[in-house]
Amino acid sequence: MGDHAVRAEEFEKKAEKKLNGWGIFGSKHEDAADLFEKAANSYKLAKSWDLAGKAYLKVADCHLKSDSKHDAANAYAEAAKCYKKVDTNEAASCLERAVNIFCEIGRLNMAARYYKEIAEYYEADQKLEQAIDYFEKAAEFFQNEEVTTSANQCNLKVAQYASQLEQYEKAIKIYEDIARHSLGNNLLKYGVKGHLLNAGLCHLCKADVVSITNALEKYQDLDPTFTGTRECKLLSDLASAIDEEDIAKFTDVVKEFDSMTPLDSWKTTMLLRVKEKLKAKELEEDDLT
Amino acid sequence: MSEVFNGYERQYCDLSANLSKKCSSAIALHGEQKKQKLSEIRSGLDNAEALIRKMDVEARSLPPSVKTTLLVKLREFKSDLNNFKSELKTITTSANLNAAAAARDDLLEAGLADTKTASADQRARLMMSTDRLGRTTDRIKDSRRMMIETEELGVSVLQDLHSQRQSLLRTGDTLSGVDDNVGKSKKILTGMTRRMNRNKWTIGAIITALVAAIFLILYFKLTK
Repeated sequence: MGDHAVRAEEFEKKAEKKLNGWGIFGSKHEDAADLFEKAANSYKLAKSWDLAGKAYLKVADCHLKSDSKHDAANAYAEAAKCYKKVDTNEAASCLERAVNIFCEIGRLNMAARYYKEIAEYYEADQKLEQAIDYFEKAAEFFQNEEVTTSANQCNLKVAQYASQLEQYEKAIKIYEDIARHSLGNNLLKYGVKGHLLNAGLCHLCKADVVSITNALEKYQDLDPTFTGTRECKLLSDLASAIDEEDIAKFTDVVKEFDSMTPLDSWKTTMLLRVKEKLKAKELEEDDLT
Repeated sequence: MSEVFNGYERQYCDLSANLSKKCSSAIALHGEQKKQKLSEIRSGLDNAEALIRKMDVEARSLPPSVKTTLLVKLREFKSDLNNFKSELKTITTSANLNAAAAARDDLLEAGLADTKTASADQRARLMMSTDRLGRTTDRIKDSRRMMIETEELGVSVLQDLHSQRQSLLRTGDTLSGVDDNVGKSKKILTGMTRRMNRNKWTIGAIITALVAAIFLILYFKLTK
């Protein structure tokens, strides 16, 4: 491993010399870029990600000076990959630069993909607002490029985190849009009830009983098969439990649904929120009476 | 006037209650006691019929408004009476059959003990079947859960297929674009080679022309 590090340093020194010296036929940037890339490779082998990332940044600089934007953007992406193992913020900033260049050269597809990666970095770091931001941008770009599946995936993530941050309106709108879109597609229509269930849960969290009944009706209109599903039954039972402010019934309904399909963590969080609100309302009423 | 009718009504109700009690007890009895009970029931029925006739006369003598309600009640009582009569008939017929069965029972002395073991047996069997039913319900619930899981898996597989379909279509498009570009670059390269050849020949021609010119000049210079 030490061997690689030594070789990498040699390459780097050679490249610096090339840059500072005079090149023949002005090809010095390309040569320097090549040498820097070799250096970065060796650093990667030596597992010193930090230095590898810096080397890739230098590669990108050289490419920019020699006007090959595509290579520069790729180099920034590589740098970000190296930094991912060390420092996510640095990685995110590298990727942003990469994305900007991709936008300039018109490769919106790659730009969208890298936006999604940035968003995933922030997601892993639990910085949800920034993650939502980047997922939205990614979804927009994907939509422009007519890559609806990735757009839908990003939008789903946006909706999930938005509802966790209590931006229920946005989440509901996204889920309903996706559901409507999926209905028209033979392959996706079996997933519609899942999306409608999520939208319904967000309605419940908003604690507005009228809206949930309206929404249920709308969903049944939208998808005739929705009425027979367990999801619809769950939603209507929950709505009535909230109406009657009966916590035992609420818990029973949730337990029954859980025995059939285990609830994932997002749904559990949402349902817990609804239950808390219900308990709070019940306590409030006890105080008044 | 309806005071009288109410009195008759009360009498009839008592009588009908009595009759129904006697009927149910008559079913459980055998032999002589049964015959006694049957005769009692028959006399009771006759009394009831007489009461109803009296009530009828009473009702018709009353003003029309009350008459209709009372006549309705009367019709109910008459149907009740008919029910009792048919019950009596069935009991008499079954009494004749039961006599033979009662004799047989006495002969074989099956007795009370058998019923007890029979009920214990039945109890054990019922418990087993309830158990089996419970286990079947559990198994059905499990299979339902598995089915739902499979359905979810199927849905996610479909989603994957959809996205793969889209990427395949896009790849096809990109590749046909690449195809076009490759064709274009091929044309450009052939153009370049042609130009290169042309230039080579022109330069060659110019050089030969110059060399020839030089020789001619030298030749003319030397022969001058």
